[in-house]
Amino acid sequence: MVEESVILELVKNKPDGISNDDIKEAIPDAKIEDIAVAINKCLKTGSLELFQNKGKLLYKFKDISQKTAAKGSDNEEKVVFRIIEEAGNKGIWIRDIRFKSNLNMTQLNKVLKSLETKKYIKAVKSVSASKKKVYMLYDLEPDSTVTGGAWYQDQDFESEFVDVLSQQCLRFLTEKAEEARKQGGGPLLARNKSYATAIDVHKFISDLGISKVSLSINDIESILYTVVLDNNAERTVSGDGYLYRAINRFLDPIGLVKTTCGVCPIASRCADTGLINPKVCEYLTEWLEES
Amino acid sequence: MSSQVGKVISLILQERFGPVIEKVGTFLFQYGSNPLLYIKRTTDLPLGKVKEALCVLIKHRLAIFKPNKNENIANYSLCIENILLMMRFPKYLSLIKKKFGDEPEMMIEELLQNGYLTTSEIILRVAEKLKCDVNNLPNVRDKFVSLIIAKYINRLPLPSDEEKPVPIFGTNETELFTLPKIDMKKLAQAYANIIPKDDLGDNVFWVVNYDRFHQDMRDKCLVDAFIKRFDENAGEFLLEIRDIVRKKVVYPNLVTFFDQYVTVIEQDSSQIIRKFGEASGGSFQIHLKEAYTQLAWELVEQVILEKFDSKAARIFRLVKLKKFVEPDQIQQLAMIPSKEAKKLSYLLLEENFLKLQELKKPQSNTGPNKSFTLFYIDLESIVRNLLELCYKTLFNAMTRKSHERFVNKRIIDKKQRVDTIAMGMQAQGATEEQLADIEEMITPPEKEMLDKIDKKMKKLNIEELEIDGTIFLLQMYLKYQ
Repeated sequence: MVEESVILELVKNKPDGISNDDIKEAIPDAKIEDIAVAINKCLKTGSLELFQNKGKLLYKFKDISQKTAAKGSDNEEKVVFRIIEEAGNKGIWIRDIRFKSNLNMTQLNKVLKSLETKKYIKAVKSVSASKKKVYMLYDLEPDSTVTGGAWYQDQDFESEFVDVLSQQCLRFLTEKAEEARKQGGGPLLARNKSYATAIDVHKFISDLGISKVSLSINDIESILYTVVLDNNAERTVSGDGYLYRAINRFLDPIGLVKTTCGVCPIASRCADTGLINPKVCEYLTEWLEES
Repeated sequence: MSSQVGKVISLILQERFGPVIEKVGTFLFQYGSNPLLYIKRTTDLPLGKVKEALCVLIKHRLAIFKPNKNENIANYSLCIENILLMMRFPKYLSLIKKKFGDEPEMMIEELLQNGYLTTSEIILRVAEKLKCDVNNLPNVRDKFVSLIIAKYINRLPLPSDEEKPVPIFGTNETELFTLPKIDMKKLAQAYANIIPKDDLGDNVFWVVNYDRFHQDMRDKCLVDAFIKRFDENAGEFLLEIRDIVRKKVVYPNLVTFFDQYVTVIEQDSSQIIRKFGEASGGSFQIHLKEAYTQLAWELVEQVILEKFDSKAARIFRLVKLKKFVEPDQIQQLAMIPSKEAKKLSYLLLEENFLKLQELKKPQSNTGPNKSFTLFYIDLESIVRNLLELCYKTLFNAMTRKSHERFVNKRIIDKKQRVDTIAMGMQAQGATEEQLADIEEMITPPEKEMLDKIDKKMKKLNIEELEIDGTIFLLQMYLKYQ
């Protein structure tokens, strides 16, 4: 005979799940049939959960206390709770719950409200759509796709923060390029010295102390990519990472953008006749008056 | 050619040749190639005037004629490009002045003003302008010859010998730059007015070779771009690569680090200079198409930057790098709040900088997720749009200029009158006091106003020139497509 507690102990140590073979290895002297009986018992009580990953069957420990907490409620609540539980830390949208549970709207709302007041679940606002609320278990930390990661504060994208960071990154890169040029030693050396990795930039940004949240290297990479997109730097692949370097552009401001017409918002409505015409154009007048 | 170009053309003709020629030119632009009598009938001008106008246009190479089907009547058509090139004349002059000096500049100026001239006409006119000595004539001739050798001017093709009602011009490319025979003795006599100028029997006509100038301008553009991107040495390097490598004292760094410059420029992401072989230590070529594509991209990006600010430029560049992008990706990669990202990308779509491609999903044909939306860029269409915008800007500047002149006609006329009186008095030997009296006829407020008008005119003139620079860049891109 194999005690259920032994198996539960085993499974508890492996939060990612455990396979049949792992259990057999851990209890080498037990018969397969006995193990199967014990596992079946656990599954029945609900303290073990069976799931499939990459074609393999895995067992996972499930806190019975949590489940019993849900037990105090009626059948609908249980069903909804199960659906929300399945969604994990990505959360699930109310419409999807409705489809899966086949409950009508008013009933579902009632169930959700009751679960929420009992603090079994919580509603989290998603960043991808501001009005979309997703539900997940109360003690879960929302996934970064839901909260948006370091760039979001209460569902709002902090564009000022991103702008400041990207300015600082650019400053770092230009200073580096400037320094490399001053040192001399030929263009090749100057170019190679002006390269910086995301790790360098990360260190610089952390030392500056402008960020209250801790930024990962990946966050810095995405900030650096915006600098590249602003055409102020170029990115080259080297080894397993990227190298960044400040670059200059090819053109001075061109004639077209120096005048009002090139940047005029109503240029398409401008003609030689009609209300909008060059003879009375306010923008042109202003431009001509300024010295 | 769009109607916008037509408007610009009619303004150019109006400004430089007056209303009659403008009428004829506009007619030819609108209706294309037409015989003389049709032009007369539609424009409602007297036959003499139409003929005169056509003569002037042909003389300045702004119109050409070709025999009709029955070979007895000529069809006239407008050379639209050449008319637009008139905006570029100041640039040609400054270019030739920098490269060759004053006399060649005067020669080109004469040619630009007159359309075509004979060898002796050019030499004599320039000599007269310079008031130079007879012994100096060979010097002027040498300058003239150097222009031919450098291909800045070429022969005007002469009609073939066959007697036909409408002459056909031969196009013998090999003879375009053949040097003329110049009889210096006769020329000297004509200069001293010993024999009449018509007796020289000169029948070789010369015209300005615009393409040669454009080549120079094209190279200049690239050199400037390289200086901006790398440094002075790289710009000089580009010049060098065209010729042979000469050691220059001015750029000592170039000689020392020549190899390195080659590597750096070749490896630059712009890919303008490429290695194409290993012969004699590696041979390189300048990729003009790539170069002007790069410049066109940057130009478009600049316009977007100025018009919609940096966020929009970032989105545009993201779409450029990714080729096809979903709206969600834009917001993520460009790090722009989703609302703003959506607003900007659809704004760019509305202004035709981005294009939209929808892909239907095969399974679901209902609901909001039934298709993908992808943004992409069609550079050529953007460039054509911008070119159109350039012509519009040109039109606006010119319209505004003539409008300002019209509004302030009274005061400008007065200034002119006062100036002529003052000049006349000066010629008659008037005293300083008298001259000052005349000057005072223009009151201080009027003077202030005149200064203001003058400033506006200058600003508009500069704008015209700068817009032409943009047009040149865009045209170069289209040419190399």
